[in-house]
Amino acid sequence: MQSSHPASDAITVNNLRKTYRIREGGSWRGKTREIVALDGISFSVPKGQIAGFIGPNGAGKSTAIKILSGILRPTSGEVQVNGLVPWTNRVAHVARIGVVFGQRTQLWWDLSVGEGLALLRDIYGVDPERFARNRARLADALDLGGIMDQSVRQLSLGQRMRAEIAASLIHDPEILILDEPTIGLDAPSKLAVRAFVHELSRDRGTTVLLTTHDMHDIEALAERVIVIGHGRILADSPFEDLRMTTLSERILELDFHGTPPELALPAGAVETSRAPHSLTITFDPRQIPAPALVAHVGHLPGLDDLRISRPSIEEIITRFYADHAA
Amino acid sequence: MTLRPYLTAFGLQWKIGLRYRIAVVAGLAAQMWFGAVTLMAYASVYHAAPDVQAPLSLRQAMTYTWIQQSLFTLLPLGCLPAIGDAAKTGAIVYDLLRPVDMWNWWLSASLARLLGNAIPRAVLLACVAGPLAMLVGLGAWSLAPPADLAAAGLSLISITLGALLSATIVMWWNILTARTLSPLGSYAVGTPLAVLLSGMLLPLPLYPDWIRPFLLAQPFAGITDIPIRIYLGTPIPGGVATGLGLQLFWLTALTLLGRLWMRQTVNRLEVQGA
Repeated sequence: MQSSHPASDAITVNNLRKTYRIREGGSWRGKTREIVALDGISFSVPKGQIAGFIGPNGAGKSTAIKILSGILRPTSGEVQVNGLVPWTNRVAHVARIGVVFGQRTQLWWDLSVGEGLALLRDIYGVDPERFARNRARLADALDLGGIMDQSVRQLSLGQRMRAEIAASLIHDPEILILDEPTIGLDAPSKLAVRAFVHELSRDRGTTVLLTTHDMHDIEALAERVIVIGHGRILADSPFEDLRMTTLSERILELDFHGTPPELALPAGAVETSRAPHSLTITFDPRQIPAPALVAHVGHLPGLDDLRISRPSIEEIITRFYADHAA
Repeated sequence: MTLRPYLTAFGLQWKIGLRYRIAVVAGLAAQMWFGAVTLMAYASVYHAAPDVQAPLSLRQAMTYTWIQQSLFTLLPLGCLPAIGDAAKTGAIVYDLLRPVDMWNWWLSASLARLLGNAIPRAVLLACVAGPLAMLVGLGAWSLAPPADLAAAGLSLISITLGALLSATIVMWWNILTARTLSPLGSYAVGTPLAVLLSGMLLPLPLYPDWIRPFLLAQPFAGITDIPIRIYLGTPIPGGVATGLGLQLFWLTALTLLGRLWMRQTVNRLEVQGA
């Protein structure tokens, strides 16, 4: 559209602000207070990318997702999704996106999954041939064959979420917005959802915006993480970059068959805990590379085993939030 | 613009309305009971004061009551249940995510729900209170046929307008529900207003003289009272044209104002939950 919004961007957001007015005290005469949910955020998502959108509760993620979906108006700022402004072209905009809110259902409780999909076909005006093709493809990829004729009321959470995702894609949207799609799911269901989203992006070039509190979703799917806190973007980078800048340390665990000996450690490594038969050392690989440290401790008497690990993604994000007081 | 999404919404709610067959039978029994009690009350009042020139004859009052009872579920008693549920769970956001005109989408669903509820009950009750009652010798208590052929045709047009008007009022309850995120307010306001002002509780022609013009001019009279008056052939001030005109006026006014309210509501609808 405009030169500043290259055609290859599926989503562009520029200085987006949203404040809520909250009435306090009595419903009649209470004072109103302004809560800033989004304090001027900007980012863009190129076509075909999977972008993870994370942040603590109340950070403004949901507000941003709702604005991008076209169901909430911002206070100010510019947004273009597929070249459209969501809140001024609501009908045209929503026809081209698919949305899954993990905590709500878009299918009809009283109907079967198949009937619900047929209703969505009529709502979105999907022609019968394309509908049949999409339905077969989604049923296959999301393993819906056995539940097509079951009413939504009877589905397990995992089955329902797979049906929800199918429902959001029956009209071939160019952008899929997933708001906590794995919440409450068991491990196999989570893996199935992740695998499907990954294939969708790879095979069909669908742009995916994903919010989640499950960092494994992010690790498995997102090429890029946008961290939001206090209504601002705190970080926007591939996850590995976030790891390097936030918590690059490694952990070396040593097991002994006797009492661990006293150690003289090189710079960059510190003993962080000691147990009757083991030691934990935390080190910064930029100061002391792992091989050098292993060589240093490898000849210790009574050493049985050693393991090197990295902090989990949860620890990294927790540290990141703490560093930014988010 | 295609009609398909709206026909789909209509079809879905129509099916849901028809699904509750036991409710139809239970409702029928309740409405027969209330109808019978009301009829006995009228009979004793009319016989106690035979000299008073009532605006409706006893037979007309009975017919009025039967039709009101049979159309009870056509009244706008509250919001569309599906919208009430969606407001409570937050699933109402998905309605905003559909590429449809929200007003027409909800209106089709609301109309279908009213008709799906009302038509089976009305047909059943009309059969029982009409031909069946006459066959078993209760002709004096039965539902009388329309005044004449013209009255039959015009009342059919009028009840169609009445159904549309009722669905339009339900839209106002739907918007109220979307704003307050609870269906309770719509029922608290809608049920007493609809029961009282439609003539369900007491036929509007039987109210005192001074208040009758106001009762005729308010929108709820257009749902069942005006169609019944046309059916009975009782005079409407200004004639049948005024009756149909009032219905059209309210249908237009409530649609235009309601659409404005809807637009404003959609613009500032904040979604429940995080």
